[in-house]
Amino acid sequence: MSAPLFDKKLDDAGISEQVAHPPLHGGFPRHWIIGFGISFLLLMLFLMAVTWLLARGVGIWGINIPVAWGFAIINFVWWIGIGHAGTFISAILLLCQQDWRTSINRFAEAMTLFAVACAGVFPLLHLGRPWFFYWLLPYPSTTTLWPQFRSPLVWDVFAVSTYGTVSLLFWYLGLLPDLATMRDRAKHLWAKRAYGLAALGWRGASSHWRRQKAAYIILAGLAAPLVISVHSIVGLDFAISQVPGWHSTIFPPYFVAGAIFSGFAMVLTIVIPVRKLYRLHGMITARHLDLMAKVMLLTGLIVAYGYLIEGFMAWYSGETAERTMMLNRLAGAYAPAYWALIACNVVAAQTLWFKAVRTRPVVLFVVSLFINVGMWLERYIIVVTSLYQDYLPSSWGEYHGNFWDWATFLGTIGLFFALLYLFMRFLPMISMSEMRELVHHRPGGKSER
Amino acid sequence: MQPRRDNPKPEPVWRSLEELYGDERLREVTEQEFPRFAELWPDGASRRQFLKVMGAGLAMMGLAACHPPREAEDIVPYVEMPENVVPGNPLHFASALRDRGFAMPIVAESHEGRPTKIEGNADHPLTRGGTTPQMQASILTLYDPDRSREVTHGGRLVNPLAFQSAMRQLGEASRKRGGRGLHILTEVVTSPTLARQIESFLSERPEAQWHVWEPRNRDNALRGAMQTFGRHLEPHYDISRARAVVCLDADLFGEGPAALRHVRDYALARREAFEKRDRPLPQVFAAEPTPTLTGAKAARRVAAGPREVERLAFALAGRLDLEVSAPREDLPRDQEALLRAASAALQAAGPQGLVVAGESQPPAIHALAHALNERLGAFGETVRFTEPIEAHPVDHGESLRVLAEALHAGEVDQLVILGANPVACGPADLELAAAIKKANVSIHHGLFLDETARLCDWHIPATHELEEWSDVRAADGTASIIQPLIAPLWGALSAHELLRWLSSPPLDQQATSALDLVRETWAEAAGEGDFRTFWRTSLHDGYIRGSEAPSIQPPRIDRRALRELAPPRPDAASLTLLFRPDPSLGDGRWANNAWLQELPKPFTKLTWGNAALISPHLALQMGIKDGDEILIRAGDGEITQPVFTLPGQAAHCVTLWTGHGRQAAGRVAEDIGWAVEPLRTAADWHALAGVTLRRTQKHIELATTQNHFLMEDRHLVRSVSAEHPSAHISHGVHGGNLLPKMLTDDPDSYQWAMTIDLEACVGCNACVVACQAENNIPTVGRREVLRGREMHWIRIDRYWKGDESNPKMYFQPVPCMHCEKAPCEIVCPVAATTHSYEGLNEMTYNRCVGTRYCSNNCPYKVRRFNFLDYTGGAAPSEQLQRNPSVTVRMRGVMEKCTYCVQRINRARNDAQMDGRRIRDGELKTACQASCPAEAITFGDLHTEGSAVRRQKESPRNYGILEHLNTQPRTTYLAVVDADEGGSKH
Repeated sequence: MSAPLFDKKLDDAGISEQVAHPPLHGGFPRHWIIGFGISFLLLMLFLMAVTWLLARGVGIWGINIPVAWGFAIINFVWWIGIGHAGTFISAILLLCQQDWRTSINRFAEAMTLFAVACAGVFPLLHLGRPWFFYWLLPYPSTTTLWPQFRSPLVWDVFAVSTYGTVSLLFWYLGLLPDLATMRDRAKHLWAKRAYGLAALGWRGASSHWRRQKAAYIILAGLAAPLVISVHSIVGLDFAISQVPGWHSTIFPPYFVAGAIFSGFAMVLTIVIPVRKLYRLHGMITARHLDLMAKVMLLTGLIVAYGYLIEGFMAWYSGETAERTMMLNRLAGAYAPAYWALIACNVVAAQTLWFKAVRTRPVVLFVVSLFINVGMWLERYIIVVTSLYQDYLPSSWGEYHGNFWDWATFLGTIGLFFALLYLFMRFLPMISMSEMRELVHHRPGGKSER
Repeated sequence: MQPRRDNPKPEPVWRSLEELYGDERLREVTEQEFPRFAELWPDGASRRQFLKVMGAGLAMMGLAACHPPREAEDIVPYVEMPENVVPGNPLHFASALRDRGFAMPIVAESHEGRPTKIEGNADHPLTRGGTTPQMQASILTLYDPDRSREVTHGGRLVNPLAFQSAMRQLGEASRKRGGRGLHILTEVVTSPTLARQIESFLSERPEAQWHVWEPRNRDNALRGAMQTFGRHLEPHYDISRARAVVCLDADLFGEGPAALRHVRDYALARREAFEKRDRPLPQVFAAEPTPTLTGAKAARRVAAGPREVERLAFALAGRLDLEVSAPREDLPRDQEALLRAASAALQAAGPQGLVVAGESQPPAIHALAHALNERLGAFGETVRFTEPIEAHPVDHGESLRVLAEALHAGEVDQLVILGANPVACGPADLELAAAIKKANVSIHHGLFLDETARLCDWHIPATHELEEWSDVRAADGTASIIQPLIAPLWGALSAHELLRWLSSPPLDQQATSALDLVRETWAEAAGEGDFRTFWRTSLHDGYIRGSEAPSIQPPRIDRRALRELAPPRPDAASLTLLFRPDPSLGDGRWANNAWLQELPKPFTKLTWGNAALISPHLALQMGIKDGDEILIRAGDGEITQPVFTLPGQAAHCVTLWTGHGRQAAGRVAEDIGWAVEPLRTAADWHALAGVTLRRTQKHIELATTQNHFLMEDRHLVRSVSAEHPSAHISHGVHGGNLLPKMLTDDPDSYQWAMTIDLEACVGCNACVVACQAENNIPTVGRREVLRGREMHWIRIDRYWKGDESNPKMYFQPVPCMHCEKAPCEIVCPVAATTHSYEGLNEMTYNRCVGTRYCSNNCPYKVRRFNFLDYTGGAAPSEQLQRNPSVTVRMRGVMEKCTYCVQRINRARNDAQMDGRRIRDGELKTACQASCPAEAITFGDLHTEGSAVRRQKESPRNYGILEHLNTQPRTTYLAVVDADEGGSKH
């Protein structure tokens, strides 16, 4: 018998009380102020970097010819990958009726949304002339020009914008009953009004519940394939090209696995401290951590397989440029980054075979941090080491992120956490309605009223 | 309109058209004229409709009023139309530039009175259209905002009248003194008019002295000729007739006023020999301490220090039965091998052999070379002699030394410097900076307020060659008239005008213009006949027919004198410094030219600065890496330089480039490079032995554009031989088809393509600058080059092969390949790069959003991105240079080689006007036109028998990275490997 998914003593009122307390009565605890303060400063750094970027152009970054893509693309892929865990948890696990998702899905979805927001800014900032970003959209213009549909970057626009929209709707739809609860529990007039407005007149009528459930399942059905398709298309961004190190059929599945891998790592990175700070042990139990770690272990193995196959194919292809690329990864200018990636994503992930690791929050937290770094490095390796030495040795050249590269990257981390802190402060971070349902239905759960 | 005929009653008077034609007819007529309006008002427009349209009209009026008021502008047509000027159509004028005093014949393109591009003059008997990077870049110097603009005296501006009277007074004073204390310092003068002026000026001032100083002078050649012939004779080499050329540290292809001709002759001779297979390929053998363009093309080359080259020369003379004291010690094995091959080749070639000594070799070696050539019977065959082309052929080093002595002794009353900059580029031991101040009055005439100008009392801004009337002779003596294409941009005067004022002319001659002076000169020379025709023909052609210097029979060489020469002893393993002109900046006169500063130097690919070139051996020995700073000490002087390891460099030689680290070159050159001039003395002008190097702790980032010089087994530069003439490699994908599979099979379409003959290319860089000038390519500066963001649309890749102490060196120009299946096109999300019907891979700048995916996916990495705003900061004068037919790109936009699509379109317009197809050869891309070796061929694949088609049919034709199925339109012709192809006939 596996560990329980929630505290046996938990009841409906207890759930509402625990979850609704921080937004309504929690005030601004010190940890929140410190955390939000740091995030806010990073956000300001981000704004500064973006302002300078728009004033001067992408030349403020370290990119060059041959490495014309740099941190912007790396960060884009990283963030969008992180988002995937949220959708995976909320949609796929919902459809698979995995109850354990209930207590973490709100969080994961919020994370998805914020990660997509962070990811979404990068393709725009990445453009040489960002003010013309809308030329990638198929709109009827007077020039009668359409996007060039053979380019995976156009597919990306559809994939990411669809993903962002569905994620937002899905999150909001799930939030509705909880917003109503908040409205009802709020004492302050303006809080009442704000939550009331956001709750769209939810009264808890059975017709509301029926429609909400139906729409929720439909959106889950829509979101589920997106988990696969979005990162597949991001993988195709690379695979379509003929750059050695990018031109590879394994990229779509390998990218999807990597996305879920990194997404779960990020969920853990956030959930473990939050669970402690807001004392949510009753709802986010060791069981949850254990299950998430298992998902990471699986996806981590798929990713490791991807690394192996990349190496094999480089050798098996017999193509000089491919072999050079692989040798460069192993022993070239960026070899330290490559081996750090292997250490983080392959070696560190193997500790998850042990239950002791999976259930010990501190250890798991450290492992999740490693994986977050490792997945960022993976994108760094894919983007940079593939480009820096491709076909003509005369054009080889290195790329290193400079101050503005890092400022933009750290800035989006600031954006992400600032949004997350606001979310934790003002919205119920665990789905109360679903938790109640879970407690109600599960054997061992008791319900009152 | 015809009046209505069916009108029953003729109406003699009518008041409106309606009345005359009848309403019905008028409507018909207007409908025919404005058919679009016919349906605008359907019958029975309602009140509602009327109000709608009125409302819309009012709204539109409101919108129109939102436009800010325009300033009133007057557009006035020409009262008198300038001759031949059709706005939008460029005019071309033949003229010449000066390089080290010699003519570089050009045809300059002018757009509405503003010269924008310099091409070689294809009609000129010497150069036949070839250009150098400096010729191409000269247009930028014309518009350089740092050029001096005003006459100054003691740093203060002087108005023209005061200037003229001051000059007249100075001239009067010097005449009264009989020229005593008057010293004129010029650069090499070949201009008949200037020479005539100076001579007449001096004839009135008999005691005055004329000094000549050019840092890249030919003193050793002069002394060698004096030693051999007893007088100064100028040798001219005819490479087209040579079968074996031995270069003793002589850079035939890169240095000297006739280099363009040598490159062309060599390339054409080899191509012809390979194609016709009726004679062996001409070969070059080179012994040199530091790689040169000539060495890179040599069939055999050894890296040998300057003393070793001397010894080699003596040994060679010995092998060819000249009675000289051959070196006693054995030569090193590689030198012995070269010697054996070279002497055998020379003997086989006989009169078609040629031995050339370089300027840095001492006079004795020049004498030996002359004797060897005489011995081979090469006089009159591969080498001919003329009287010196210079108007005042003197020993420059000696001439400057005399001047310096006079200055130091305080004997100089008036010093007139025309163009030269001896303070920056002269021997350090003459201490000219201090000396010039001792002159009573010093006058400097030059383009820039340079180091010398700053020390002189007077500075007079000089005109650029495109702003003045003058004349000049090419290396073979052929004279050209220099004609202005634009009025002086700023208050500049030509040397002719300055001298006229200095000669304190009588009143009636004061208005004599430079044009009058030049015409006067040639009125005499033209002799009988119609001067007007002569003048117009000469201006049109860009050279004066029949003005080539006549050959003279050199006196027999006294071979006994040779016996007195002795080879130098082998050096103890001490280090030797070699002072060489910077491949781009020369002696530093081009330092303020951003195109040349950013031009990657042939072997090092260094831009924006210099470095001490050391051998891999020395680098290993000292444990230093590229960019480490070293302190070079020689005698009292010391300088610091970053080092650059150069394969093929002689083990114990350190090459230093002159012309860097100048103090007053202008804003572009500020803080660029490290001066080597402090170590350069008159006695050790070319080389300085016995120096010590010490490593400092500093490291300097070197701005190179190519960091990796090995081909990594990728068959990028291929070689063929007579036995194996096919360039296709056995294990690669064969490029079999002549034509790439084209998107269109319309036989009437043009299908553009290019070939680049790697055998012909000497890596001179002319195409790179030509492309930059033609296509408005910005320079980005040192920092951006360090970040890997140079913008050149055509680059010259350089690869090493073999042993690092003396590798084979290959050059490979890489423009856009215009792939038939272009990887860049499919990844662009906005269709900003697309394929044209004629096979061009086109870039639509204003559609580009700058994702840069196209560059990532380009296996040739020929795409260039405007990472920042590289064009916005150009000075107004620099903007005048821009080609109006080419878009200036903004920040955030990708760009690349277009095959000069603007030229294609112009040619197409012309052809369409004449109702014909574009003829083969009618259209040349900028790189193609600039190439002295004719290595680049461009044209239409559908034109039967077109040059490019012929080239593509050659077995030497191959594409790079063909296995990616890009089907490149730009292909290469393989190098004819000298080791195999040459000797096996």
